Amino acid sequence: MESSNLVLQGLMLFLLLFLMGQANVYTRAGKKRWSGEGTSPHLESIFLGRCNEYISVVNPELSEKNCSAIWEAFESVLHKDPCSVLPSDYDLFINLSRHSIPRDKSLFWENNYYLVIAYADNARRLMPITDVLYGRVGDVINWCRQENGSDFDYHSCPTVEDCENNAVDSFWKRASSQYAHDSSGVIHVMLNGSEPSGAYPVEGFFAGYEIPNFQKDKVTQFEIWVMHEIGGPYLPVKLLKCLDYPAHADCIFNSAAESTQQRFPSLFGGKWDPSLMFFLFLTLASEIQL
Amino acid sequence: MVRESSLHWGQKCRCLLLGLTVILILGAVVVFAAVIFARRRDPPAELLQWKGRGSTDNLKEIMLGRCFTYIRTVNPELRKDCLKIWETFKNAFISKNPCNITEQDYQPLMELAAQPILCNKTLLWSKTNELVHKYTKVQGNLLTMEDTLLGYMADGLTWCGNPSSSEINYQSCPEWHECANNPNLIYWKTASRAFAEAACGVVHVMLNGSINQPFGNSSIFGSVEVPHLNPKKVHLMKIWVMHNIGGQPSDSCSSSSIKELKSIIEGRNITFSCEDDHRAAQLIQCVGNPEEPACRVCRTES
Repeated sequence: MESSNLVLQGLMLFLLLFLMGQANVYTRAGKKRWSGEGTSPHLESIFLGRCNEYISVVNPELSEKNCSAIWEAFESVLHKDPCSVLPSDYDLFINLSRHSIPRDKSLFWENNYYLVIAYADNARRLMPITDVLYGRVGDVINWCRQENGSDFDYHSCPTVEDCENNAVDSFWKRASSQYAHDSSGVIHVMLNGSEPSGAYPVEGFFAGYEIPNFQKDKVTQFEIWVMHEIGGPYLPVKLLKCLDYPAHADCIFNSAAESTQQRFPSLFGGKWDPSLMFFLFLTLASEIQL
Repeated sequence: MVRESSLHWGQKCRCLLLGLTVILILGAVVVFAAVIFARRRDPPAELLQWKGRGSTDNLKEIMLGRCFTYIRTVNPELRKDCLKIWETFKNAFISKNPCNITEQDYQPLMELAAQPILCNKTLLWSKTNELVHKYTKVQGNLLTMEDTLLGYMADGLTWCGNPSSSEINYQSCPEWHECANNPNLIYWKTASRAFAEAACGVVHVMLNGSINQPFGNSSIFGSVEVPHLNPKKVHLMKIWVMHNIGGQPSDSCSSSSIKELKSIIEGRNITFSCEDDHRAAQLIQCVGNPEEPACRVCRTES
């Protein structure tokens, strides 16, 4: 009788401990605090590697830049709450990493990241923000501080749904503003005409942080390319899309046929939705007072 | 009196002598110490001088960053220890004479960083560096050596060590004509051999039809990759001979150079096919030259 009691008590104790253990595991790894993915693993190594590669290999004129100092300035956002990071918190980072952008080489875009990367060809053809040092180091990675700690949070990070002043969005706001400010000459803009919500996102980065920062005395012209899925008008970019569909009717070469396309579509040419272009032109004109 | 003064003088003399000796000894000690100290500050070994440019600045940071980027974004299924890979890589050439590097030096790295290569994905190349990599970057289906971890980490970089020194030599590194067994060339030979040995199914090759000899057995393709393809795994080799977009179109598939390659490949029991100006790769050339006649697109819409 007594021994069976003991066994029963032992079993209950074991069960209790087991359940507690499970509950512990659940609260630790179960519910995530924020809606975005956590800080990228090996963030510092990736950041330093990209920075060093950029100044040593891609753009050797920048060899005097100090990547460790740039990393420290970047990392200083760890001093702030994950929902209190402002674009101005990256001022020192930008000051240490900014450099001139060659005239006529800027490429702005919305909703066509992979096409832009392919076309820009690692800063050889054009230089979108991801081919500028401060854009290169932040590209495709994620970061934020823990809510109750001073280290990076590798489980989850806030997105705009959680709060506006998160580390990554503020970074791109600051970087985009700088990129627009430092651009000069012909400004290229690539928009996605097949985007269901419209080629020109009224609340996007281009509208909010790039257009307001163009320097009117340095910009000479805007070239807008509205790309569509495989039917796009600008030939070189369309050719890149043809790689995925070489047998498509639009991609069949014929050296005898005359090309009736304009090589550089002007603001009012082509077959785009005129209201879209008018709207875009109005916005640009009013923002920078051409 | 005289005796006293002479005695006094003797004592003074002795004091003087003693003092002088002490000063001399001290001086010698100081000089000796200075010499030793100066010697210690010089590097123990002399850095060998070469004609080529030195190791790439920040080599470790670049290679580590590339390794982490590769396993995180380019090929997330690959689980590798990047720090260990860096150490193993460094040990292959550190403290060695950069003229005496062997493939064995890189074997530990090969084993550590090897990755499985899927069948029908291998793309070899010769004298088409820029075009072939633009192609794989955009098209994303085939893999060149430089799209694997080993190639990705080292592409475009230079490195060498120095005998009896544990430092990377950033001043200079040997060029090919100074010594053939230098750390860079041996690295690419070793990695290319492993890459060719791992190929299976259909192997694609992009060659340059605008040079004299699209296929040469002095290139890494001809001397390392072709001989190490395994006929038990590889059953077909498809050659794309690309020409400069503005140049004269020519039929390089029937040239003697390609015929030589054909006989080598068929002699190893691998089927051979050849195509001039493969359409998809030509599209990449057209991106930079849309005005060329070969790039005119037939307009079907108004």
